[in-house]
Amino acid sequence: MSSVVSVRSRGLSQAGGIIAVICRRGMRKIRTRPALIVPVLFMPLFFVISFTGAFSSLTRIRGYGTDNIFNWLAVYAVLTGSVFAGMGGPNATAEDIENGFFDRLLLAPGSRIPVLLGTVAFSAIRSTIPTTAVLLLSFANGLSMPGGPVTLLIVYLATSSMASVFCLIGLSVVYKFRTVRSMFLTQAVAFTAMFLSTGQVPIGFLDGWLHEVARINPVTNVLRLGRQGFLGDLQWSLTWPGLVALAAMLIVSGGLALRQLDRLSE
Amino acid sequence: MKKLLDRAGVKGLRIAGVQSLALAGRAMNAEWRQKGTVLPGLLFPLLLAAVYTNQFERATHLPGFPMVDSFLDFVLPATLVQAVSFGAAAAGSELARDIENGFFDRLRASPCARIPLLLGRLIGALVVAIIKGAMILAVFFACGAEVAGGIVAASVVVISAALLVLGIGGLAQVLAIRTGSQEAVAATFPLIFTSVFLSSAFFPTSLMSGWFREVAEINPITWIVDPLRRLVLEGWSTTDVLQALVVPASISVVTMLIAVSTLRSKLGSS
Repeated sequence: MSSVVSVRSRGLSQAGGIIAVICRRGMRKIRTRPALIVPVLFMPLFFVISFTGAFSSLTRIRGYGTDNIFNWLAVYAVLTGSVFAGMGGPNATAEDIENGFFDRLLLAPGSRIPVLLGTVAFSAIRSTIPTTAVLLLSFANGLSMPGGPVTLLIVYLATSSMASVFCLIGLSVVYKFRTVRSMFLTQAVAFTAMFLSTGQVPIGFLDGWLHEVARINPVTNVLRLGRQGFLGDLQWSLTWPGLVALAAMLIVSGGLALRQLDRLSE
Repeated sequence: MKKLLDRAGVKGLRIAGVQSLALAGRAMNAEWRQKGTVLPGLLFPLLLAAVYTNQFERATHLPGFPMVDSFLDFVLPATLVQAVSFGAAAAGSELARDIENGFFDRLRASPCARIPLLLGRLIGALVVAIIKGAMILAVFFACGAEVAGGIVAASVVVISAALLVLGIGGLAQVLAIRTGSQEAVAATFPLIFTSVFLSSAFFPTSLMSGWFREVAEINPITWIVDPLRRLVLEGWSTTDVLQALVVPASISVVTMLIAVSTLRSKLGSS
C-alpha cells in the first residue's frame, strides 16, 4: 500500500517537475528573444491608449456610467491583453509541432497532461506582464479604484484565468491544425468574444442582436467582475457571476484541449 | 554591344517577372489551401462593423459627428482597410515559414533573382486583397450601405485598401527576414489593428482630444480613410481619389525598398 502511495507521489512530483520545466522554458524563450514579448506588452497598452483616445467623447452621452473613460476601458484592455498573452503558449507549441520537438515530447514516457498544464501555467504567468503595464499606465492617467486594493486581486485573478482559457483554446486549435498560422483562428475567437461584450459601452447602449449576445456572453460577466472596483464598491452580486463564467470557460476549454491532445497522441 | 546588354536586361526583367508570378501563384495557392485560416480575417472586420453599428448609433448624434444616415456608412472604408490589412501579413508569415523550414535556402541556392522572392508573395497578397475588398463591399451593399460617389468611387475604395496591403506586406517581410520567426510576424496583427484604431477609422478626429487627436491626424491611415469616407458619404472628388491612392502607394514603395535592402544585407552577412 505504501509503495502505491510512494509511486503516486513520485508521479505527482514528476508531473510538477515537467510543468515547472515547460514554464521555465517559456520564460527563458522570452528572455532570449525579448522581441516576442514586445507585442504582448504593447498591444494592450495601445489598446487602452487608442480606445480611451478615440472614444473619450462617449462619456458625454448620458448613462455611460463614468466620466473617466479609463475607469471603463482599463479592465477591457487588461483582459484583452491577457487573452493575447495566453496565446503565447500555444504559439510556442505550434512551433514545436512544426519543427518536430513536440513529437519528441510525446515519445517521452509518462502522462501528456503536465505538458499541457505547463503551457497553461506559462501563459497565466505571462499574462501578468501586460496586466501590470496597463494598470500602471491607466493609474498614471487618472484611473481611480473606489473598490480598494482587493480590486487588484480580482483583476489579476480574472486576467490569469482568461489567459489560461485562451491558452487552452489555442492549444485545441494547434493540436488539431498543427501550424502556427492556425493561431489566427484563436485570435479571431478572442476578438469576437471580447467585442461581443460590454467592453466599450454599457449594455444599455447596445441595440438589437448585440444586446442579446452581450447579455449571455460570459466575458460580460468577467468584465463586470473586474470592472466593479473601478466604478464603485465591490458587490457579491457582480462577483459570483464572473467567477462562475471563468470556471465554466476553464472547464469547457480544458476539455477541448485534452480531447485534441489525446487525438494528437494517437 | 549596347543591343546585347539591352536584350540581356529585357530578358532578365522577363525572367524576374515570370519568377514573381510563379511565386505569386504559390502564395495564392497557400491562401486557397488554408481557407479556414483566411476566413476569420474577412469575417472579423465585418463583425466589428456590425458591432460598432449597433454600439455607436447614439454617438452619431454627438455634436461634431459627420452627417450620416447610419454608422454603417461611416464605418465602410475602415472595415475594408482593416479586412485587407489583416491578411497582409501573410506575405511575411509565409516567408518566415519558408525560412524556418529551409525552403528559402533552396530558393536562394536556385538561379532565382532576389527581388521576386519578395515581390511574388506581395503580388499574391494584392490579388487576394482585391478579392476580399470586393466581397466586403458586396456585404455592405447587401446590408443597405450606400456609396455617394458611385461604383467608380467604390472601386477606388477597394484599390486604395489593396495598395495598403503592399505596404503592410513589405513591413511583415522585413520582420520575417530579420527574425525568421512566424510568431514574430504574427505579432503584426495586433499592431495593424491598433494602428487602425489610432486613426479616424472608427471615430472622427473632431471628437477626439489632446495628443491622441494630434497622433490620429498625422496617422497615414487617417490620410487614407478620410478621403475614402468623403467618397462614401459626400460623393466623387478627384482630390480625394488622388489622396486615397497616392498615400498607400507611397507607403508600399518605402516598405518594399526596406524589405529589399534588409534581404540584401541578410544575404550579404550569411
